[in-house]
Amino acid sequence: MMNPEFRRNLWLSFSTHRLIAMPALTGLAFLALAMSDINDTAKTMYTAASALFIFIVWLWGTSNANSAIVDELRDRTWDQQRMSSLSPWSMTWGKLFGATSFNWYGGLLCLMVAALSGIAAQQPAWPVDLLSLVAGAVMLHAGIIALNLHTGQLGMRVIQRGGLGWLAIVFVLFTLPAFSSRDGNITWWSTEIDSKLFILVSVLFFAACAVFAAWRVVCNALQVRTLPWAWPLFACVLSLYLAGFFVIASTRPLFTLHSVALSIAAVMTYAALFTEQTGILTWKKLRLRQRAADWRGWLEHLPLWPTTLLLTFVFALFSTLAQPDDAASRPDYIALFAAPLCLALMVLRDAAVVLFFAFARNNRRALGAAMLYLLVINVLLPFFANVAGLPLLGYLFLPFSDQYPAVTSIFVMACHAAIALALVIWRVRETERSQA
Amino acid sequence: MIEISGLTFDYPGHRALDNVNLTVEPGSVTALVGPNGAGKTTLMRCIAGLETPLEGKIRVAGMDVIEQPREVHRLMGYLSDFFGLYQDLTVAQCLKYAAMAQGLAESDIAGAVAVTAQRLDLSARLQQNSGSLSRGLRQRVAIGQAIIHNPKVLLLDEPASGLDPEARAGLAALFRLLQADGMTLLVSSHILAELDEYSSHLLSLRDGRVLENRALTAHPHLGIERPLRIGLLQADAGILAWLEQQPQIASCKMHDHVIELAFLGDHGAQAQLLKDLVAAGFAVTSFAEHKENLQQSYLRSVAAHLETRQ
Repeated sequence: MMNPEFRRNLWLSFSTHRLIAMPALTGLAFLALAMSDINDTAKTMYTAASALFIFIVWLWGTSNANSAIVDELRDRTWDQQRMSSLSPWSMTWGKLFGATSFNWYGGLLCLMVAALSGIAAQQPAWPVDLLSLVAGAVMLHAGIIALNLHTGQLGMRVIQRGGLGWLAIVFVLFTLPAFSSRDGNITWWSTEIDSKLFILVSVLFFAACAVFAAWRVVCNALQVRTLPWAWPLFACVLSLYLAGFFVIASTRPLFTLHSVALSIAAVMTYAALFTEQTGILTWKKLRLRQRAADWRGWLEHLPLWPTTLLLTFVFALFSTLAQPDDAASRPDYIALFAAPLCLALMVLRDAAVVLFFAFARNNRRALGAAMLYLLVINVLLPFFANVAGLPLLGYLFLPFSDQYPAVTSIFVMACHAAIALALVIWRVRETERSQA
Repeated sequence: MIEISGLTFDYPGHRALDNVNLTVEPGSVTALVGPNGAGKTTLMRCIAGLETPLEGKIRVAGMDVIEQPREVHRLMGYLSDFFGLYQDLTVAQCLKYAAMAQGLAESDIAGAVAVTAQRLDLSARLQQNSGSLSRGLRQRVAIGQAIIHNPKVLLLDEPASGLDPEARAGLAALFRLLQADGMTLLVSSHILAELDEYSSHLLSLRDGRVLENRALTAHPHLGIERPLRIGLLQADAGILAWLEQQPQIASCKMHDHVIELAFLGDHGAQAQLLKDLVAAGFAVTSFAEHKENLQQSYLRSVAAHLETRQ
């Protein structure tokens, strides 16, 4: 039997009129181009078909994939879907290819024209180009479904109104130049790789990651519990991928890898922290499972951000241990030595600040308040202290400086983290006392 | 059919369910009643596996809802109080999608759609878009989606809201039919008179706690109190003394020409009592079991709860 979710989307997306209109309109567009007075018709047709694919599948398709979740939440049909006995995987691919089925219908017509004109124009890399386009579309559609479902629990209006879809479309417009200027080679982990092939493999890899992410988020939405290994694993894999661009033969690759991994883990911790439910109920559930020694349940209820926070400390330690050979002789040695641990402690402190607001009895504006205070602590206070000619005070707010001993910097940031954690403990006690 | 133990559910700053323990008998129709904010919808959503409680266990047909939500969904239908329909699908497509999504075999789907449409009087509307239906018809489509796979357990949150009196009567008849087919129903509503028509059990919630969970239909047999009401032509002080001497009468009181008594006998003893009353010369104008309706029963349990709190 056909996937019910896919079939439902086909019912919604296709009508006789639409079935005829799509080939008629795309055919007319290509016919008009073929009849116009251009020099290299095949090559122009190839470019035009690729561009039309980007418009129909990447942009319009992303908008439809965005609606796949947003419309369910808005029209209150999501509960019915969650009550179905569809498996998470059936639900994922049914939505992924069902919501965008009409776009794929138009996209396949474009691909056929692009393939034929690619052969006619003797474009040697046309299969690689077209596969990249297809993988890019899957990556975008799966990514937006995963993002919408993940952030849907926050109940933010901008997300409920499809704001993430527009963000994805802006992302597409920014990444398009990377696809258009892709001749020559790319240096990755000190190896020269054909750029077209590299882009294809990269996009295929990230498309697979996005589909996997969508499946995991659908699992959670359908109450099928998962263990939190995928998020930190993705942080590691992404670090390996990105570090390849920064490794230069003359530097120690391990130091580069650990530094990139530290940054990625920190960024992913913030990303998860601001998009997950961090209220006190999450922590109550964890505490109850801890008391019952239900460690599997504990892991299943653990938010994602602590996993990458832990990685931040691991990579901070590795970065400190894997200093470059010339580190001791460099003028920025102190900062180089202190920075990784300071950064990890800063992420811990900021996480505690977010929890402090999220654990409040009335936490409706917790996210906004936390962001504001983090901006004040990390940017405004150090800036004003330095402008006022009080560099020591600025250093006490943001201890990333090679003017002071590394141990002092780490100590100052550890104090920040300790104060923030003490505030969290106080908040938990206050909230529990008021609820008792 | 449904077993719940130690169920606690918190919203930020508010405990919606507080250590709820209850069982729902197989084949029963349980009226879930309580004031707004009592935790009725939260309880239903927890049973449906749509919300994860803070702690506690929920088992449906022997399966753990928290551990096996997808398996439980095959046995369960749920109608949310704020349900939605796919506006651009026809009624037939809505029902067909629900049947497919609940894992019905392809060969059974057409039959299930036809039977469900017939049960809900939707056969003439199958080709109509659900977005163009009235509120009452939309409600029927949503109920159809919830029952199309013939679930063992059906959870209905305010199923009759927005329905006209005729449709409500039809719904009551449908629920009785489903119960007769062996389905277990848990129905939440504020309209207690409507629940009274088909409920076999009462589950009363208040402040997230169970006030009362009991069968409503007391089958008359010895030792179980039943309220009887006797109407007299005129007030007669002697009748109370006479009644108090009867062994199967637990208590009695008189208001004007009416006597209310708690009777311990079966139907045979009841007939004998009437015979004896007439033979003793009392002018009896009416004699019947006075069944407490759901509203009275609920209000009585609330009053008892408030009394114990004071």
